[in-house]
Amino acid sequence: MARDVLIDLQHITKVFPPDTVALSDVSVSFEAGEIHALVGENGAGKSTLMKVFYGLERRDAGDIFFRGAKVEFRTPREAIAAGIGMVHQEILLIPEYTVWQNIVLGAEPVRAFGIIDVDRAREVVRQKIEEFQFNLDPDALVGDISVAARQKVEILKLLYRNVSVLVLDEPTAVLTPQEIPQLFAELARLRDKGHTIIFISHRLDEVLTLSDRVTVMRRGKIVGTSAASELTKEDLARQMVGREVLFTSRRQPQEPGEIVFHAQGLNCSDTEHRARLHDATVEVRAGEIVGVAGVEGNGQFELVNAIMGLAPMTSGTLEVKGKDITHADILTRRTLIAFVPQDREKMGASVAASILEDAIMTHHILDPRFRTWRGLGLNYRHAAEFVDQIRDQFTVSMGHSSDPFNSLSGGNQQKVILGRELLLETPFVLMDQPTRGLDVGSIEYVHQLLLDLRSKKRAVLLVSADLDELFMVADRIVVMCQGEVVADLATDATSREEIGYYMLGGKEVAHAETGS
Amino acid sequence: MRKQALSGILGVLAAFAIGALVLALQGFNPVATYGALLQYSLFSGSGFTATLTRAVPLILTGLSASIAFASGPVNLGQPGQLVMGALGATLVGLFVHLPSVFLVPLCILASLLGGALWSGLAALLKRAFAMDEFIVTLMLNFIADYFALWVITYPLFDPSASTPMTRPISTAAWLPDLGGVNTSVLFMVLAAVVCWLIMSRGRSGYEWRMTGQNSLFARIGGCKVDANYVRVMLVTGALAGLAGGLMIMGGPHRFVKGLGANYAWDGIMIAVVASNGISGTFLYGLLFSALQQGAIGMELVTAVPSEFIDVLQAVIVLVVVAGRVSLNMVFDRLATRRKLKENTR
Repeated sequence: MARDVLIDLQHITKVFPPDTVALSDVSVSFEAGEIHALVGENGAGKSTLMKVFYGLERRDAGDIFFRGAKVEFRTPREAIAAGIGMVHQEILLIPEYTVWQNIVLGAEPVRAFGIIDVDRAREVVRQKIEEFQFNLDPDALVGDISVAARQKVEILKLLYRNVSVLVLDEPTAVLTPQEIPQLFAELARLRDKGHTIIFISHRLDEVLTLSDRVTVMRRGKIVGTSAASELTKEDLARQMVGREVLFTSRRQPQEPGEIVFHAQGLNCSDTEHRARLHDATVEVRAGEIVGVAGVEGNGQFELVNAIMGLAPMTSGTLEVKGKDITHADILTRRTLIAFVPQDREKMGASVAASILEDAIMTHHILDPRFRTWRGLGLNYRHAAEFVDQIRDQFTVSMGHSSDPFNSLSGGNQQKVILGRELLLETPFVLMDQPTRGLDVGSIEYVHQLLLDLRSKKRAVLLVSADLDELFMVADRIVVMCQGEVVADLATDATSREEIGYYMLGGKEVAHAETGS
Repeated sequence: MRKQALSGILGVLAAFAIGALVLALQGFNPVATYGALLQYSLFSGSGFTATLTRAVPLILTGLSASIAFASGPVNLGQPGQLVMGALGATLVGLFVHLPSVFLVPLCILASLLGGALWSGLAALLKRAFAMDEFIVTLMLNFIADYFALWVITYPLFDPSASTPMTRPISTAAWLPDLGGVNTSVLFMVLAAVVCWLIMSRGRSGYEWRMTGQNSLFARIGGCKVDANYVRVMLVTGALAGLAGGLMIMGGPHRFVKGLGANYAWDGIMIAVVASNGISGTFLYGLLFSALQQGAIGMELVTAVPSEFIDVLQAVIVLVVVAGRVSLNMVFDRLATRRKLKENTR
């Protein structure tokens, strides 16, 4: 069926200084009453395109037409007034306010003298919840409800402002597998009521399930728009990456060796004495990849900090290769543990430094070849050679080693960090979300690297929010919920649904005994 | 690096142009004024050597601030550390009697220790009670000031003097002039070279810089960030102390009331203009010294008050610092335009 063109973006170009072309002559149109998915790797320009449309980013060239008229939104407020709303990846609500308070905030119904009409506000919100069948309690505190529910509040906030176009930036990134179908049902209902939904994603299955049409972007350009019913997952991936992508695990069967990493009964509390880790026990054998799954904020962060010695534990022991590192300083741990943190800019590197300076961290202490003048000097010549080694071995595309680290793309930054850490040649490797924010090509590369480590008989602990990733590379998956390890399952003997069940707090603890 | 030099040169030239405008508006002849400024700071023998000597405390306190800021600690205690260093050198110079070969190094050592003691105190308070060095070093400046005033007014007061000052230190501790240039300049240059080696070639300098940029990254990389913090505080305190010691040994040879009153704050300003670079600090230190030295001559020959130099210095700081950012923005915009053209082609 033919629909009317509602939004027409013509020849949009956006350059991020100095020379990153985020959008290059992009033209795409969205029809009224459709769910239109915008897919592409990270950095393909999906979010940037929508931000340009929404008035969050300036464009350098191009025109925007909405309902046939040329428009120019200078701020999101203007876009909302015109009937367009965007839900961002980060949820921006006030946890201390109730659901209805958050929804009406900024557009409160008022009585005379600007007094907020509380009763009417609550009532309108209640009606909206009913109208869209959102299953929310308007009087619940936002701080008490789940992430999925908060997302609904964000969407309702826009519906309350009577938008007819909803732009959702990776809405499923924060949801568990169980919560996604419900969101999709709600979005489909919205479409059937005449709303237009633009849905940014890089999860191909979701895109095909939910959307009517799909536009693929690659490197700031439009690859094409097609009806979702005419596409397969493989088609989409090929269009996104520009080549064939493997979706099945290439994990070869392999007997794990001796226990390399052993964390026993880790406990730690936050500053308010709430337990953040509760008797967490994890072990990893040589030649084994153990995945840590869990909804974000269920102790994964604390587990990583405890292993690295960044935060004190109240009890528990840590051993790597039979060496007790429970009370060891960070440098001692680093002789045994390679660590890829989840936040490149906060922990993984100094963005203000040069590639060389970021690449030699830790090596400059542990490797005597980096020393000159009896250890006082740093051997910059050897350091430059070391950067070359990382560049060649980890296929980093980069300029000179003295160039600033942030001149590299995200994928290349991660490769430098991976190279630095893996060349430490440690028996144990701890990776915290190593593929977060990377494009499909780089993710594939990291997965291959993980599997190589496995065949080299290293022990790998992989914390990941991406279940697909865990199922692709991990031998075992431990699930964390509220600081506890609630399940320890062999990947081949479990399912995404089972993992999701434990992530949401399924209480029965199942242990796939692994010979210990 | 090249961009830095470019924005620096452009900034200084622009500041001079603004200064010329200010002069012209007041009815002074800018050409004659700047002529006198340069004549008395760079293009006469005595003026040039005086500029170099004056640069000693400016550059040393500048290096102190640069290294501290680049490494993380916000050490704003250069004024106090300078005073304590000067006091250290004065004490040794007054009470130790040794030949020059021993006494000069001993006085230098005392000045280094005096400065390091004062910054070390702030470091200690930070480590023990998590007190921010930013405020502690600032407050210690006052304590150092009045402590020194007490010392030179009572215990070490020179009875023959009318204002608070000590007796002259032993002549064996005096730094001689070599070809009109005071030898304190040599010590300053030596210190600057050592600073450059530490920061640009040393292992500690690498760790300090990384800690200053992202201390969590350095910590997780295995750097001992707490120990490094103390080291940076001690080193930067010692540098400011050295400035004080060299001022005593090369200049009035005694601790006079108000010694080094402004130099140390200028040092912080120089570090900011040089964006904490070692060579930049050195060059801006020379420039500011030339301006301050030239101001004296300028006042002699023209009717322009020497306060004009304060204005000019302030304009330089603002123009260079603001220019650095805006120049980058100009570069960005040019690059964007180039890219756009490539795209539409």
